[in-house]
Amino acid sequence: MFAYVMRRLAVAIPTLLLLIVFSFLLMHLAPGGPFSQERELPAQVLANLNEKYGLDQPLWRQIISYVWGIIAHFDFGPSFVYPDRTVNQLIAAGFPVTLTYGTLAFVAAVVTGVALGVVAAIWHNSWVDYLAVGISIGAQVLPNFVMAPILVLVFTLWYRMLPGGGWSFNDPSFWVMPVIALSTSYMASIARITRSSMLEVLGSNHIRTARAKGMPEHRVIIRHALKPAMLPVISYLGPVFVSMITGSVVIDIYFSTGGIGKAFVDSALNRDYAVMMGVTILVGALTILFNLVVDILYAWIDPKIRY
Amino acid sequence: MIIEQSKMQSLAARMSKDEVKGRSPWADARKRFFRNKAAMAGLIILILVGLFAIFGNSFAVWSNEELDFNVMGQVTTMGMPSLENGHYFGTDDLGRDLYSRTVQGTQISLMVGIVGAAIAVIVGTLYGATAGYFGGRTDQLMMRAVDILMSIPYMFVLILLLVMFGRSMSMLFLGIGLISWLDMSRIVRGQTLSLKNREFIEAARATGVPGWKIIIRHIVPNLLGVVAVYATLLVPLMILTESFISFLGLGVQEPLTSWGALISEGAGTINYGTLWQLAFPLFFFCITLFGFFFVGDGLRDALDPKER
Amino acid sequence: MALLELRDLSVRFRTNDGEVHAVNQVNLDVDAGETVGIVGESGSGKSQLSFAIMGLLARNGTASGMVTFDGQQILNTPPKVINKIRAEKIAMIFQDPMTSLNPYMRVADQMAEVLTLHKGMSKKAAVAESARMLDAVRIPDARARVNLYPHEFSGGMRQRVMIAMALLCRPKLLIADEPTTALDVTVQAQIMALLAELQTEFGMAMILITHDLGVVAGSCERVAVMYGGRIRETGPVGPLFTDPAHPYTQGLLAAIPRIDHGDEELAAIPGSPPNMSRPPEGCAFEPRCSYRREECAHLAPPLEDFAKGRARACFAPLNDVRGGRATVHLSEVEPPAGDIDDDDITPAPIADAIIGGAGVAGTSSKVDQP
Repeated sequence: MFAYVMRRLAVAIPTLLLLIVFSFLLMHLAPGGPFSQERELPAQVLANLNEKYGLDQPLWRQIISYVWGIIAHFDFGPSFVYPDRTVNQLIAAGFPVTLTYGTLAFVAAVVTGVALGVVAAIWHNSWVDYLAVGISIGAQVLPNFVMAPILVLVFTLWYRMLPGGGWSFNDPSFWVMPVIALSTSYMASIARITRSSMLEVLGSNHIRTARAKGMPEHRVIIRHALKPAMLPVISYLGPVFVSMITGSVVIDIYFSTGGIGKAFVDSALNRDYAVMMGVTILVGALTILFNLVVDILYAWIDPKIRY
Repeated sequence: MIIEQSKMQSLAARMSKDEVKGRSPWADARKRFFRNKAAMAGLIILILVGLFAIFGNSFAVWSNEELDFNVMGQVTTMGMPSLENGHYFGTDDLGRDLYSRTVQGTQISLMVGIVGAAIAVIVGTLYGATAGYFGGRTDQLMMRAVDILMSIPYMFVLILLLVMFGRSMSMLFLGIGLISWLDMSRIVRGQTLSLKNREFIEAARATGVPGWKIIIRHIVPNLLGVVAVYATLLVPLMILTESFISFLGLGVQEPLTSWGALISEGAGTINYGTLWQLAFPLFFFCITLFGFFFVGDGLRDALDPKER
Repeated sequence: MALLELRDLSVRFRTNDGEVHAVNQVNLDVDAGETVGIVGESGSGKSQLSFAIMGLLARNGTASGMVTFDGQQILNTPPKVINKIRAEKIAMIFQDPMTSLNPYMRVADQMAEVLTLHKGMSKKAAVAESARMLDAVRIPDARARVNLYPHEFSGGMRQRVMIAMALLCRPKLLIADEPTTALDVTVQAQIMALLAELQTEFGMAMILITHDLGVVAGSCERVAVMYGGRIRETGPVGPLFTDPAHPYTQGLLAAIPRIDHGDEELAAIPGSPPNMSRPPEGCAFEPRCSYRREECAHLAPPLEDFAKGRARACFAPLNDVRGGRATVHLSEVEPPAGDIDDDDITPAPIADAIIGGAGVAGTSSKVDQP
């Protein structure tokens, strides 16, 4: 297991390095980028940049100092727009918010999706199944940017139950709509995957063997069917995670929650490339880390994968 | 929102099994497809939406750029959907006709979806078939590259690209298309690996047919079922991606519009009670996604019948 | 009274292409300690018959008729009742040992749960007993290997594990559904010898389902030959083999390749099995039968006794069949009696169990992976 983790890390780290170098080069190539002289940067910003990367230095030196800054000090450098802010500060302001509603949405999507899918598969072709399938089909055309306005319309404008935006760590009523908007369509996908893989497992030979042992059906499902049925769900968790982070951009804008999505879009509108890159690299790192966790989880469940 | 990879693999396996049996899977599949009510409903929806996109403009009273000065400033009351003043779907916040804007949004979203899916499918198929066919070092290198690309947060990179190099339709097509070919290439590679040692491929190789020709003439046609299903299911994903970007205001630029941009505008004015501005684009967006999902699923179930 | 009595047992499957008549009005008795073979081609309904007894039919399947075990009606009984019978009284081993064991669980856990469930044993005692049983089925180094996962065993070893698992509760009846089809020929012989040995040791009855007449001849006392979901002929092994009374049985026996008649061509039964989603009105074997008569096309022959312990379902006069006086000459290649499609006639979830080799007599298409 240890060797397996190490091998996965051996792939993950160069990937991350590649992503960093790629982003840096992209920034360099961009027309009107910070390093070309077409664009007027505030004097203080230019001074910060110069101090940080040495803009008069050759390109490879700039790359190394950027990469080194990230790896050694977790330092994404100064902002290109705000002379007195660093990228770290801008990201750090929003990260806890994104983490909070992101985690909640992730857990909500997985728990309800799996529950819905399992129930639908067990009572296949019953009204429960049709209801679950109906919900999951309906919900998959409701991505976050569609759910958000609908939720606001219903819960804020019509029923006046929930605040239409803003964020507070102390008041869960601010959390409800971001979490629902973010999780709905993934809940639907997870339910669909769970249902079809559970149906397949329940029809498989080893489940027939388990039934032939005289086990009650609920024990057959819990002991024998759940684990294999979860494998496709687990391999889908990586993409879900990435999409949720991406979706946080919409949430932050529509609900004014002030997460890293806001930092990203603000910087996109201001052409503050340093912040955009910082967010991209951070998200990339999280993705790689999360995929690693998913792979390890998968290998832990499936004994046939022997590292 | 997802294309289930395990089902696609099952379909791929099924298609090559039938190929070996020497019977066409398509004849039976057509029968099953036409018996599938959801798929037929989806097909009808798609045809109607397609007709709307093509001929919708001929019924429009207003162009998509004209401002109706009678409506301006009092959109909440005067801009409501009405047959009398020709604004069938009402007007947007600036007093532009929402009907003709929805027609245009439909055209653009469908185009981005279809072109994006086509790019993804073509790139994915060729890449996967090449890796699988040549095997060995080439295969390992190519697939490792796919692994690496998989862990890049695409949406962020795409937005980065759009911001850095300016927003343009071609950038959007390219960016969206290049996001989604990775899964496709994996399936195609697996399928190619299992096909390439079959007799008919070996026979072709033995008679000196060059590698690229074998890929195009013998391997790709065998993947037609997978490609068709994948493409159908990819179009709605592409539409979603485009809408997402347009919702953020980074997609197509005025005066062009798309569903995402229209939904974004409609969502922004929800407080003023101009609900129709959200409802009409959203309606077309949702039914089209449904249409593609039902047709794609139906096609897959028709080609790979299983009790599900 | 027999240990197991089947009365008018029928199995139907609802599929998209209509109702499949997999098993039709089967009557069969199995006495305590006896070995009964059920022979037939793939798709003849023999496996579904065994699943019906155990209540293991796929979701879209329904069984009707009566199954009495030890005087107790067990067909379509509530789960609580049938779960007391399964494994404890009637155990079953399946065709494909590769997929019939749970790949995600250690063998120890899979076996032990039978004992903790039915005998209320502690986990530890159950694992110890499981290891003893693995020893009994000749798995070397059983105490260590009980902790392995199924994929760490070879095909033959996995089937031994299945057998050991089935015997844990010392059942009175063992249903073996093509236990050797998926295995190597040499391994097949070992498994059959093991089964025979264990059967006498544990004193249980056995239903052996197979398409392999060689296996039947070697290990059964009585045989039932199935075709198109019906029993066509039953009787003690000896007379049935030396003096087959049904054209289908004759065909099956003639199709066994014999080394001592090396110069002859292989004799195959022309045509292919019927499509049971559109069951023929008359005898299902009629299109392939060289003794067919007019009534065969629209009347199904009943199973009738013709000698002590022997019965057959055929309209052709017994002496004609015995004497080999065919009434029709069938060309070698006859258009199939109906397009047969595995996926259409078998319920999807158990399709694997039936596809297997369609060949007759000791030919196995799959090879054991070491």
